[in-house]
Amino acid sequence: MKNKDIIITINSLNDIEKLEKLGIKKYAYPLKEFCVGIPNTFLISEIKNDGYIYLNRILDNDGIDKLRSLLKDLPLNIRGIIFDDLGIIELVKDLKIEKILYLSHFNTNLESIKIYLNYVDNVIISTDITEEETKYINNALNGKLTVFVLGYVMAMYSRRYLIDNYSKFHNLPYKNNLVIENTNHKFLVYENEFGTCFYHLPLYNGLKLLNLNAKNYFINAVFLSVEDIKDLLEGTSNIEYDEGFLNTETTFKLKGDIDD
Amino acid sequence: MTELLAPAGDLERLKIALLYGADAVYIGGTLYSLRANVKNFTNDDLSNACLFAHNLSKKVYVTVNMVFHNNDLKKLDDYLLFLKKIQVDAIIASDIVVVKKALEYKLNVILSTQASTLNYSAVKFWQNLGVNRFVLGREVNREDIKRIKKETNASLECFIHGAMCTSISGKCVLSNYCTNRDSNRGGCAQICRWVFNCDGPDFTLMSKDLNMVDFIEDMMNIGVDSFKIEGRMRSIYYIATVVKCYRKIIDGIQNKNLQEEEKEYYKKVLNRVANRDTIPQFYHKFPGVSESYFQDRMEVSNQDFLGIIKGYDKENKLIILEQRNYFKIGDVGEFISPNMETFTYTISKIIDENNEEIEVARHPQMIVKLPYDTEVCEYAMLRLKVFDKN
Repeated sequence: MKNKDIIITINSLNDIEKLEKLGIKKYAYPLKEFCVGIPNTFLISEIKNDGYIYLNRILDNDGIDKLRSLLKDLPLNIRGIIFDDLGIIELVKDLKIEKILYLSHFNTNLESIKIYLNYVDNVIISTDITEEETKYINNALNGKLTVFVLGYVMAMYSRRYLIDNYSKFHNLPYKNNLVIENTNHKFLVYENEFGTCFYHLPLYNGLKLLNLNAKNYFINAVFLSVEDIKDLLEGTSNIEYDEGFLNTETTFKLKGDIDD
Repeated sequence: MTELLAPAGDLERLKIALLYGADAVYIGGTLYSLRANVKNFTNDDLSNACLFAHNLSKKVYVTVNMVFHNNDLKKLDDYLLFLKKIQVDAIIASDIVVVKKALEYKLNVILSTQASTLNYSAVKFWQNLGVNRFVLGREVNREDIKRIKKETNASLECFIHGAMCTSISGKCVLSNYCTNRDSNRGGCAQICRWVFNCDGPDFTLMSKDLNMVDFIEDMMNIGVDSFKIEGRMRSIYYIATVVKCYRKIIDGIQNKNLQEEEKEYYKKVLNRVANRDTIPQFYHKFPGVSESYFQDRMEVSNQDFLGIIKGYDKENKLIILEQRNYFKIGDVGEFISPNMETFTYTISKIIDENNEEIEVARHPQMIVKLPYDTEVCEYAMLRLKVFDKN
């Protein structure tokens, strides 16, 4: 067990003490106004010592301006920043903090990750690739990766207010979140003022990757309690889960060949 | 001059797009495109596409915009060198390894909308690598485009017409989960068009299509460099119609003679050729209930496209037409063509391949002849007349 290398997003400041007891020491704080798909977010001033700022929004110009302004007075206790939007690289390049790029569905091959590592200290590898591909990339990079090992995976992120629109159209009371389903494919839908996220159900459990010798392991704890995390880490949870694409390579139809 | 950029799924559609007024086309080869399930262009087709376009002093951009897995990289260098050799005008890419390699090979790179670029700082990141044009995310609004232009002076390409992803492009793997087809590698199964069960009425997330006719002039004024039409999988009729309408609108604005009623006419034609409603989306206001569908697929197709010209019999003054939809004597149609004004045509006589007069052209792709005194060029099309221009 390498719980000390786990970075976990937190849902409440009260969770920290309980997470420490699990040996988890690195906390990512979803930053207020810079996240989608996350009900509980935090101000920079609420971040405890050695915390990571976590931003998963794709930013418009105003977002970039606001973040630039926030980062100007960044407290010294911030350990790092985890982000998706490439526009943030320019904003953080001179900051003496750890920079972790989480490009959600990109970072699926070794060469691209190597290039991004010229700009950041670490990247979170995509969950859209197989265990074999993940291992290959991690080995080639000598453990410079962060590997997503547990949590609900964001399968779609829309700028639109899909729940609000649905409620208005059908004249229903607003209910956030929703579970939707088609032919056994289920998603948990959650929206905030910055858009709507679809999380794939069931939960993604890639805890078997904890033996990879990666730099960090990432747990997205949104919609999970500390007790859930504890049970999942100990293998005693009743929560339904799958291993995403670790054992199932996705396909796409390539017609022909360059030599055709 | 603002560029009109059209999609083309094969060589025929490329020719149609360019002849009907596009300044440039974007196309996919058989490798690495985000439309893996269409015919696409073989290497020979790609070469021919460049020759055809360059002869008209027009441009060809090739999509290499999927998100690569390790195994996909094996043929990338050879492919980029091939594209360099045939002198494509740019490639469209989103994965940084493709961008870097293409720039090393001195290919021009357009950053794909798949890279989800919505702010000036992200544009600057890619500019520093050497990218010179950006397809901004469809979610950018007017003020964001204006600011990005001001801060970066980058060449900006914006979608003006066609289907919208519900997701921010590049941020969706619904298809991976529901069908195991990788949306970021060309396998998108359009899950955002599915209907989902929910605790309540069915849940849908389908967006209406985009139509920017009302804002073309404003977009020109704020510095958009290229107007992009979506739809590499669309038909020749769709491409001809949409390209011609926007060509007329752009030229009318540039020549300061576009009348309001003309604009309304083009809007009606564009709405008719699409199988979903087309409206503006993020540019001038935040899209809400009116910009989405909520009850199953509300797609309507029509049979307006009657046929495409295959030649002209000068001696007998007959148009040679390949039938695409049922028509009969007495129907009123109109010809659209690359180099003539659209004109009304009432079908008075139909002659079949045995030189016999018939009442009805009912068989798809049957060749018929229609009398007309003036030569009508190849690639002109006959459609049912639905709207009057004036």
